[in-house]
Amino acid sequence: MDLSSLQAKLDEARYIHDSALATTLLVALKLGRPLLIEGAAGVGKTEVAKVMAQALDRELVRLQCYEGLDESKALYEWNYQKQLLSIQIQMNRQDPDALTKSLFSGEYLLERPLLRSIRSEEPVVLLIDEIDKADEEFEAFLLELLSEMQITIPEVGSLRARSIPFVVLTSNRTRPLSEALRRRCAYLYIPYPDVEKEVSIIRAKLPNVNEHLAVQVAQAIHNLRENDAILKKPSIAETLDWVSALEALGISDLTEEAARRTIGFVLKSSEDQEAAGSLLTGPQDCGCGQDHAHCGACAESSGREDGGSR
Amino acid sequence: MSGAVYLEKLSEFSALLRQEGLPVGVQETADACEILSQLDLADRETVRWALQAVYAKSREEQSAFQRAFDGFFVSAERRDAIRRQRQAEAMELARRRAQAERELQVRGRPIELREDLREVYIAMGEDKREQLRQMLERTRGTMERSPDRLYGNFIRSVFMRFLLEQQMTMEDAAVGAEASDPDLALLYRDISRFQDADIPRAAALIAAISRQLDAELTRQRKAGGHGGQLDFKRTIRRGLETGGSFYRLSYRRKRQKKRRLVLLCDVSGSMLQFSEFALRFIKSMSDFSESSQIFLFSEEVRLVDPFALQNMDAFRDYVRSSGLYGRGTDLGSALEVLCRRRPAPLGPSATLLILSDTKTIDVPRAARALAEARRQAGKVLWLNPIPQRKWPYVRSIQTTSALSQMLPCGTLDELVRACRKLLR
Repeated sequence: MDLSSLQAKLDEARYIHDSALATTLLVALKLGRPLLIEGAAGVGKTEVAKVMAQALDRELVRLQCYEGLDESKALYEWNYQKQLLSIQIQMNRQDPDALTKSLFSGEYLLERPLLRSIRSEEPVVLLIDEIDKADEEFEAFLLELLSEMQITIPEVGSLRARSIPFVVLTSNRTRPLSEALRRRCAYLYIPYPDVEKEVSIIRAKLPNVNEHLAVQVAQAIHNLRENDAILKKPSIAETLDWVSALEALGISDLTEEAARRTIGFVLKSSEDQEAAGSLLTGPQDCGCGQDHAHCGACAESSGREDGGSR
Repeated sequence: MSGAVYLEKLSEFSALLRQEGLPVGVQETADACEILSQLDLADRETVRWALQAVYAKSREEQSAFQRAFDGFFVSAERRDAIRRQRQAEAMELARRRAQAERELQVRGRPIELREDLREVYIAMGEDKREQLRQMLERTRGTMERSPDRLYGNFIRSVFMRFLLEQQMTMEDAAVGAEASDPDLALLYRDISRFQDADIPRAAALIAAISRQLDAELTRQRKAGGHGGQLDFKRTIRRGLETGGSFYRLSYRRKRQKKRRLVLLCDVSGSMLQFSEFALRFIKSMSDFSESSQIFLFSEEVRLVDPFALQNMDAFRDYVRSSGLYGRGTDLGSALEVLCRRRPAPLGPSATLLILSDTKTIDVPRAARALAEARRQAGKVLWLNPIPQRKWPYVRSIQTTSALSQMLPCGTLDELVRACRKLLR
């Protein structure tokens, strides 16, 4: 697969992309490296894995990470009930060693996503979603799989991958990932889309939407994301929900009144809704409540140099 | 282009990236070579993204990569511009040489001048040359008697001063230092850009500098003299050793009053790394303060046990487990909590030291709270990691710097200077 055919596949899947994203995907694919995608929540990181599964015509195997995730949930587990039953049935068997050996065969192995992805005859797309939510121990455990494409089960030994999956790891950067993990991956950072790209996404996902409304919503969402007073920035999915809600209500012009009525589709906390105020359709504001002519945050957003955190 | 050529060029590029602080290994270079050989990447931008995917493994590394890429892989337009610029420079140099030939003459004879000094003359600005010509006019009579010697000495002294001025005004001394002394370069590098590999070296450097600062402080105290009253008891006792004559007088030592330090440290977002280093630095100056309290804040504020901050790992663990990590900044709320707290941490003998980049929600509230904290505390100092040249563009800095003494400390060198100021 070359760059243009990958881009065509992404277009087919209606995934709005730029050359940086397409090239990075191609590099990861060609080198057989896992792809680590970072970015804020709701910028379309998980979607990349889904689209790649569609583009490569592969099955998508997903592992959702969470605190406390361990090998038994991610890799494999022995089917204890079945093993016990088997022991009961074969209790009078003459050869106990053979019985023990048979109990730790593939027949009693419950495959979890990681094992399933490397034991599959056909290559799959393996999505390890929100790796930053898993513990550091689990991250270390992944290293063997990501670099050697093999895993070790103590009772069985090392299992090499039958087919090489295309691995996509996503992270919301809630904690820094280890250097060891980063070094094994190709890296992609997805920022929030600019207004133009967001309009393209709305057009691609909701082809019948009013063009004027799409631009208005994209601009309003952009203003909200730029505003420091909004704690939970709206995601792309929320943009699409908002446009759909406005369409369903027959609204073709995003007035302040219309925005206020439907703001619940975008901002999901009362603090954020209060902070939004009249910003949805008004000019951009940094939320500092100051005269913006000399405000640092405003200067930053208008292209002036600045530094530091929020 | 063959694979060997790719490999050679990419090895040079990898070395450049290492200088930029990216932990690039052999594997990355091999991957980059493989991807360039496999794919027909004729387009410069596509090469950029492909190499970025291989070399840069975090958002921070991506910006360093972009800088290095633009410097290494020059675009066609930029290459033409450089060629044109070089041609223009060569023509200008030739013109200046010819002009210098005409000017460096006395009575139609060229002045005897070393070649390097002649080059300096060529590089000099028109105003300096004009000074030389005026001097020539003023000293014409003397030069008639011994032109070569006098004019030569004069011109050499001017050149030397010019060369020295050039060296003194080198803005980015760290660039030269990088190659000769990595520790020195670390001193001038932005703390927030330290890589994991730099941290042990930076920690060792901090320990060395804080020992030096401690020693300076001790020397200052010793050099300060007695300054106190005569210690009769000790003078008489020592006098007995010399048969009752008060040969040596003893004085009461002036009691050194150490300041009480209250640290308010921002650990939100990008401030975390800076705060780690600054806290480590301040804590390692054992002789600095008789007691200190450390408060960490982002959206909330917490009083921290200094033992929890003994090393960087403990600090990171504490910040993560406290729920402060990855949140926004609310300085106003933190200062209000500090001012209301009982028993009061602030007071006339306390120095409030704020480590923050001033980026906070609700700046007016923060300014009000800062004014109250300044009223309560004996002294308020602010260490700000944002480079000083950017301060005029940041509204929150303009507001807060009016209410407290703000010192830049984005690099270890600036941090040392700030700590020296704190000691005074």
